[in-house]
Amino acid sequence: MSVPGPLARHILSLADTKRLLGIRYSDWILGSPSLETGIAASAMAQDEWGHARLLYSMLKRLGFDPVAVEQDRPAERYYSAPALDVPFPDWAAFVAATVVVDGALAVALESFSHGDFALARSRVPKMLAEEEYHHQFGAAWFARLAGARFEGARRLEAAARAALPSTLAWLLPEDSDYETIVAEGRVRPGAQVRERFEDRVGATLALAGLRIGEIEPARVGWDPERRRGPGAPGEEAVERARGDRNRALFVE
Amino acid sequence: MSGRAGGEGAGRGGGAGTRARTGLHEGIYEVFARKRRGDPLRHIGYIDAPGDELARVYAWKTYDEENWFEMCVVPRGAVIPVNRSDGPWAANRPGAGGGGAGRGGGGDAA
Repeated sequence: MSVPGPLARHILSLADTKRLLGIRYSDWILGSPSLETGIAASAMAQDEWGHARLLYSMLKRLGFDPVAVEQDRPAERYYSAPALDVPFPDWAAFVAATVVVDGALAVALESFSHGDFALARSRVPKMLAEEEYHHQFGAAWFARLAGARFEGARRLEAAARAALPSTLAWLLPEDSDYETIVAEGRVRPGAQVRERFEDRVGATLALAGLRIGEIEPARVGWDPERRRGPGAPGEEAVERARGDRNRALFVE
Repeated sequence: MSGRAGGEGAGRGGGAGTRARTGLHEGIYEVFARKRRGDPLRHIGYIDAPGDELARVYAWKTYDEENWFEMCVVPRGAVIPVNRSDGPWAANRPGAGGGGAGRGGGGDAA
């Protein structure tokens, strides 16, 4: 894959994060607290993968082969949000990610859909409509765990607090690539995106005693090429993202 | 994705349409939907949920095999029985004494 420009990097950042989020959601299809919750997790995983596929396909307009992008990259070439590098250790982490990471994704997509990239304007609104159910799911479960007197409330607060710094840096990159796509009218300026994020998830996070304005984005070790902080998703997750094992079964 | 028929087995829950499983209370919601404007709203199943917001999400994600024009959920305890006192909705009404058919207990539900 040739070196992507600022807009392609933005699309990869969104698509890779959706693909990894779908994998992390899928881990809980059979382990969630109720049958209904597992079905919702399954549907959300499929939503994320469908959205990722649509986002990858936008790269074709920018001169990239979407199939190669999806199937040929090693883990260290992924642009996904660092909060998804490892599996969710418990249900509280799942719920925290639904609010923090999925919420950040929705806000980033909303920003993209209001820019002047035609494919984003036409394709992203349907994604955002589907994301509303993720938003309701996350907000309801977050409130449920935050209000519990048990271990869940403590773990929820810890998981959300751990995910926020790197996710804020991912959502609000302070680099020349992001400045370029803002100047080109592709996305909203960072200050507006931050305001939208606070509107979307601020009240929910406050239930666990978290104030977004008090969280410092984790910018140490920022990799401008991958538009994310240090690290990479686990190899096992990337194998699943690429579909390595399934393709190994193909008969030519 | 994986619809659940309203008439499947009896035995879980009961009482006032809510149950305590692990300290987090859930209630039974009946799910109704119509495919097209003007179609009758029909009962398509039920879900367990701890509140109205998650009931909406669970219903939409569970019964998504059709492109529904309209879907709504009703707490089982809010359904007022008219001509039966032994069906699942009657058994799950607050103050009904509990011990009813539980989830989707009777074919009457639909």
